[in-house]
Amino acid sequence: MTASADVLVPADRGETLGELVHIAEEHSKGGISNPVLGMILFIASEVMFFAGLFAAYFSLRSNAPVWPPTGNPEFDLRAHIALPAVLTLMLITSSVTCQIGIWAIRRGDRKAFLRATAVTLVLGVIFLVGQVWDYTQLEFGITDTAFGSTFYTLTGFHGAHVLGGAVMLSVVLYRGLAGQFSARHHDAVEATSLYWHFVDVVWIALFSTLYLL
Amino acid sequence: MITKPRFALLAGAIFIALAIVYGALSHDWGGVTMLFALGIAMALMAYVLVAGSPRGDEQ
Repeated sequence: MTASADVLVPADRGETLGELVHIAEEHSKGGISNPVLGMILFIASEVMFFAGLFAAYFSLRSNAPVWPPTGNPEFDLRAHIALPAVLTLMLITSSVTCQIGIWAIRRGDRKAFLRATAVTLVLGVIFLVGQVWDYTQLEFGITDTAFGSTFYTLTGFHGAHVLGGAVMLSVVLYRGLAGQFSARHHDAVEATSLYWHFVDVVWIALFSTLYLL
Repeated sequence: MITKPRFALLAGAIFIALAIVYGALSHDWGGVTMLFALGIAMALMAYVLVAGSPRGDEQ
């Protein structure tokens, strides 16, 4: 968003490198960096993606005579709420540590940034392992009525997004260890944190809908 | 002309208000969910358009 044609075709205008840097800085005033811009647009599309899944769930639920369907006592997810509740707390905590990392890199504290990012990544991985463990404990599958289909589709796609976020965090951590981020240059960190917060918010909505509502 | 990023929230508020009205009239919770999420997505998009433009506050 902040790059311009002026910057992309320097040979046509004959600017020096210093002038190009000045132009780039001028164009960046008041705008959003490209990584953050791209992430916000991506999150907007992801909102609609999850909206489709939630809409399907609510549509099925509102049209069903009984919810959860009778016939399998395992459909009563409140009986298995302990582990998902703990995982929810871990994911919320990971959002907090992610934000602590952002605040740290904004003030140039790389050590605190790396520590907070590592903790965020570990919490995310624990969440994923916990979700897989939870799947193994449930005695219904994705083909067991619309309830099983919607449950596994919603939680499965969310898990895939957490996995994607964990990969992003791993890249950020690796680049952070290589010293590529500073108080002025850390757009990738900001973009990754936006995505991680989004994934966290989606899980809170999922947990509330599936286990509490 | 809208130049403050916070006004982007208005774009989302319109759809969320629409979702509330639609839900009250139809009780179609799938549609309400889609309209609500559309409000969030539109607010994000509007924010990008307003805050993302270079020197948006000066235009």
